[in-house]
Amino acid sequence: MSQEYEVLCIRCPKGCRLRITVEGNAVHVVGFACLEGKRFGEEEVRNPRRIVTTTVRILNARYPRLPVRTAEPVPKDRIRDVIDALKGVVVETPVRRGQVIVKDVAGTGVDVIAERDMEAVG
Amino acid sequence: MAAAVKLAGKGYDVALIERKEELGGILDQCIHDGFGTKIFGKALSGPEFAGHFMDEASKLGLDVHLNTYVKSVNAGGDVKELVTVSPRGVERIKARSIVYAIGCRERHPFEIKVGGTRPAGIYTAGMVQRLVNLYGILPGKRVLIVGGGDVGMIVARHLYLEGVESITVVFPEEFFVGLPRNVQQCILDFNIPFRPRTVVKEIVGKERVEGVILVKVDENWRPIPSTEEFYPCDTVIFSVGLVPYAKKLRAIGAEIDPRTRGPVVNEFFESTVRGVFAAGNLVQIFDYVDDAVESAYIAADGVEKYLAGEGRLDNPVPFKPGSNVRTLTPHRLEWEDERPVVAFLRPAVEGRAWIIVRGGNGEILKKEFRQYVRPSTLERIEIPREAIDGAEEVYIDVAGV
Repeated sequence: MSQEYEVLCIRCPKGCRLRITVEGNAVHVVGFACLEGKRFGEEEVRNPRRIVTTTVRILNARYPRLPVRTAEPVPKDRIRDVIDALKGVVVETPVRRGQVIVKDVAGTGVDVIAERDMEAVG
Repeated sequence: MAAAVKLAGKGYDVALIERKEELGGILDQCIHDGFGTKIFGKALSGPEFAGHFMDEASKLGLDVHLNTYVKSVNAGGDVKELVTVSPRGVERIKARSIVYAIGCRERHPFEIKVGGTRPAGIYTAGMVQRLVNLYGILPGKRVLIVGGGDVGMIVARHLYLEGVESITVVFPEEFFVGLPRNVQQCILDFNIPFRPRTVVKEIVGKERVEGVILVKVDENWRPIPSTEEFYPCDTVIFSVGLVPYAKKLRAIGAEIDPRTRGPVVNEFFESTVRGVFAAGNLVQIFDYVDDAVESAYIAADGVEKYLAGEGRLDNPVPFKPGSNVRTLTPHRLEWEDERPVVAFLRPAVEGRAWIIVRGGNGEILKKEFRQYVRPSTLERIEIPREAIDGAEEVYIDVAGV
């Protein structure tokens, strides 16, 4: 049984439309203009990953939300889990850029870090 | 910030004036990643990118005036005078040179001729980004996004991830006009529905948006009769382009380019008012924050030359957009210098192309090949001074292959 995917290559501004067929362990990519694109297509169906950015609640800060992101890309199908895992999180000021807010978020092995400093106000 | 940090690093006495309560401009609400790939070689988020420059500013002990509004500027003479208003009251600041870096504004529904009512529930994309990312407030439950550029796509992804029930993106073009990576990461990754060749004809609703009337358009963006359709939604978000906020520069007598809608500048981003420089999205809309920062560094070099009283060319060399070029900076060459000229141009065509720099008589001064150009991506080209030596005027063309 084979599965077909269509993705846009994000390696360069050209943005080739790749059509990818997966049959068992074999991955077949067409529509690329260079080898980078072929490689991207293969990775994109085997193990697509993305950085997830969102916000968490923060107390006593200038704004009620602190922007955070995953320190590394997480598997694409875990994006929703990461967002859900951050729903109840509340942090206290002060926070430093790069500080770990949640360790090993949703069991992905990736930490969630603060994107900025946030001082206590008021 | 970039210009201030560069000049302060060289020992100049720099004051940085900011209307908001913190530095960093719009980057505080751009929490997505993808900033700084050219400067830092990795994809940072907006706040992280801004944070880098804030750290530099505080290390250098920059004289920062927050919550400060510049009420008026007298830029005519050698000593320029600014009148500022802040919680400290009205103050006067004297400076020998000024760099404006006041960015751009969003185009709004009135600029794209949307009919109907104006109830609650109509936003620009930037406003929504601010509400969601800084205040944690979602604008509505059923959202229509107007515009297929990068900002619209990024807002669509955020709203989707933060739990908005229904999102549709409409735009008059045949396909999204933003970067392909955003089409993939923001729209296709989450199967967010979109309708190309579609525009909003009217907004419907009395107190709150109840829906819109969508209409299909042809390739010239003309509405196709009897294709109107009512689309129910409670929120309409306009993401229909950015315009340099050039009003303040016009007020001090700087010439404005009708193409970029920013100031006319020379190769060091100096406006037509001597000693007054411009950087970033105030000059033109940069697609990469890294390029905006580069413009600030070049402006800082210009300030240095201006303060040192370095020589200007007897006959400035005009730079003009040639064929298939929508916008071009700089507008002229005005200084004696050794460094290459950095030009930014917006192509009018898409595909493989040569960027050709030529003189007034058609002689080719430099050409560079590009694998792929598109109108939505600003191209950057460095032109060595030797190449343009002796030219009376310079044209830049984009020639499709």
